[in-house]
Amino acid sequence: MDTEKQDAVTHAPVSQDTGNGDLLIIEDLHTHFFTHDGIVRALDGIDLVLKSGKTLGIVGESGCGKTVLALSILRLIPNPPGRIVKGSIRFQGRDLLTLTEREIRQIRGNSISMIFQEPMTSLNPVFTIGSQLAEVVTLHQKRRAGTKAQAREVAIDMLKKVGIPSPEKRVRDYPHQLSGGMCQRVMIAMALACQPMLMIADEPTTALDVTTQAQILRLMNTLKEETGTSIIMVTHDLGIVAQTCQDVAVMYTGHVVEHAGVEAIFSCPLHPYTKGLMQSIPRMGEKVRGTRLYAIPGNVPTARNMPKGCSFNTRCPEVMEICRQETPPPFRPEPLHLVRCWRYAP
Amino acid sequence: MNDRLLEVRGLKKAFLLKSGVFGKSTGLIPAVDGVDLDVSADETLGLVGESGCGKTTLAKLVLMLEKPDAGTIVFEGKDLRKARGKDLRKIRKGMQVIFQDPFGSLNPRKRVASIIAEPMIIHTMGSKKDIARRTVDLMEMVGLSEDMLSRYPHEFSGGQRQRICIARALSVNPRLLICDEPVSALDVSIQAQVINLLVDLQEKLRLSYIFISHDLAVVGYLSHRIAVMFRGRIVELSDAHTLFASPQHPYTRCLMESVPEPSPQRTIRKNHVTGNLLETNGDDLQKGCPYSPACPWADGQCIAETPELVERNTGHFVSCHRHR
Ligand SMILES: Nc1ncnc2c1ncn2[C@@H]1O[C@H](COP(=O)(O)OP(=O)(O)OP(=O)(O)O)[C@@H](O)[C@H]1O
Ligand SMILES: Nc1ncnc2c1ncn2[C@@H]1O[C@H](COP(=O)(O)OP(=O)(O)OP(=O)(O)O)[C@@H](O)[C@H]1O
Ligand SMILES: [Mg+2]
Ligand SMILES: [Mg+2]
Repeated sequence: MDTEKQDAVTHAPVSQDTGNGDLLIIEDLHTHFFTHDGIVRALDGIDLVLKSGKTLGIVGESGCGKTVLALSILRLIPNPPGRIVKGSIRFQGRDLLTLTEREIRQIRGNSISMIFQEPMTSLNPVFTIGSQLAEVVTLHQKRRAGTKAQAREVAIDMLKKVGIPSPEKRVRDYPHQLSGGMCQRVMIAMALACQPMLMIADEPTTALDVTTQAQILRLMNTLKEETGTSIIMVTHDLGIVAQTCQDVAVMYTGHVVEHAGVEAIFSCPLHPYTKGLMQSIPRMGEKVRGTRLYAIPGNVPTARNMPKGCSFNTRCPEVMEICRQETPPPFRPEPLHLVRCWRYAP
Repeated sequence: MNDRLLEVRGLKKAFLLKSGVFGKSTGLIPAVDGVDLDVSADETLGLVGESGCGKTTLAKLVLMLEKPDAGTIVFEGKDLRKARGKDLRKIRKGMQVIFQDPFGSLNPRKRVASIIAEPMIIHTMGSKKDIARRTVDLMEMVGLSEDMLSRYPHEFSGGQRQRICIARALSVNPRLLICDEPVSALDVSIQAQVINLLVDLQEKLRLSYIFISHDLAVVGYLSHRIAVMFRGRIVELSDAHTLFASPQHPYTRCLMESVPEPSPQRTIRKNHVTGNLLETNGDDLQKGCPYSPACPWADGQCIAETPELVERNTGHFVSCHRHR
């Protein structure tokens, strides 16, 4: 792995004290997939900071690399075809990319736990959800490890917490017997049980109805307040971002194009892409049939037709000549507001 | 109305809860518990409700992927359970679906080109060349590029996979498209594209949709009428505008209040109803209104009698003893 730094400039975004308050600092992270179609630069130089006890929202177009980012942090990128080719991920001061396989396994599920995007494919179909929950409990909460019956009790308790009706019966179910939203809640129960330092939630409530979603978000919030867990919330629901996150990173084609506090992102988005996202939200009860929703014109470029310069230039309503020539570096129009767009060059 | 495309009456389906693989049954889950529903040509019917209330099961029953315990389903004038041979083929072609989990519904060993072409080949919709050309058109229509056709599903992001599913479903020109959470894996910008696309296609092809989603804003935007489900039953049904302007059923109100607003200044209204709701043992409930354990207005009648779905105002159906 090539860990050498490209230059001495540190882009440490948003947060200025790169010391104590930051749980996770990602710098210049590149994760590529080497496919028969060529190289997919899923992450193409990511800089991110997550402060202790805070929730960082990650939003962006489908395919922009949000899941790859989450998997990179846990070093779960399938290899081949994928590989982290460059960069650093410092978690509590240690670079996760330099750890041995054994050390990283220690961290997964203990200090960092993850809720995956596709619960149906993440649960094991041949075991009951009760036994899968019990396994998590005995694996990661050694202090609570006890008899089988005790593990079952804990499993039932966890199911109750995430709002599954009749948990005593449901522990004996197999994943295919549950609805999509129920599987998702089982995954959430597992992640919560570990009481991690960092919880990465990849679209955790996408499969859930709004009432259950509100309950789960509150549960995650309680965990954050009680145990100081930091959360990375990957979602495309800007309502969830507004309601749960303190900081937001907006991604586009493997870059963080804007990184700021939640208020700033909603009240004065700077990047043309972020502005487009804000305009595309359908607002409840405000629809007029026959009118069209605003949609950012064009499509996300693929690895093959990635334009020269800023990758958003083919769709950008504010495009300038320099955008077609050079990739914008991160600019900082406000001390805590970072944006990769030539409009904000000093 | 004569242009009624789908007519569902008294539909029921219960699942057995078992302990262990061969174990004895420990109860019944009434996943769909007596549902009546109509969909007209050109119409979008939105279906919302808590997770596990039976929306997907209802969709599967209509699609003949599950066998109902009771009730009838009539599609284009033909009773699904009695249809055979040519009629059955026509029904199968006329109803297509996009499911919640885009990964589970795509064959990982097939390239995207053959995934999209498959239904057209099954229904013999033209020469190899025609199908290949149409495959490219479909890819474009859903916002994917032609050069992705030789890729495999795992090489796409969740949202990209969902668009592949939409392209495949549209390939055989269905009359009714059942969309089970079709845009929940998509970010708002692509979501807006897909929603606009669905609206365009509806006008162009006279498509009808049953649109299942947890996103009330999206459902409200797309639907002409909306049905709210709770524990296997429809508790409220009305045109979209009325439902948002004056929701009647307490559960509908609870849903509306739980939507996170896309503005950091306004916080989620914390209503006690949500909390109670999740602690109720829905599976054990035998009689009475299924919402009564969570309902702040419930009284003796609610606990004793299951309310019927009755028409309060023209086209506005509510199943609630209170709030008249
Ligand atoms: N195993 C893989 N092989 C090849 N390419 C991959 C692989 N996994 C992901 N990619 C590519 O990496 C890019 C980022 O994918 P990722 O799954 O991170 O998107 P995402 O932002 O999570 O999207 P979504 O919102 O749809 O979940 C995509 O272009 C995808 O095609
Ligand atoms: N094959 C099955 N075996 C046993 N129970 C099942 C089966 N399929 C569904 N169920 C149960 O039926 C009920 C309804 O499930 P369904 O998948 O229809 O819910 P849903 O409304 O689609 O929920 P979600 O919004 O979470 O997708 C749930 O309690 C579920 O556990
Ligand atoms: Mg993803
Ligand atoms: Mg479902």
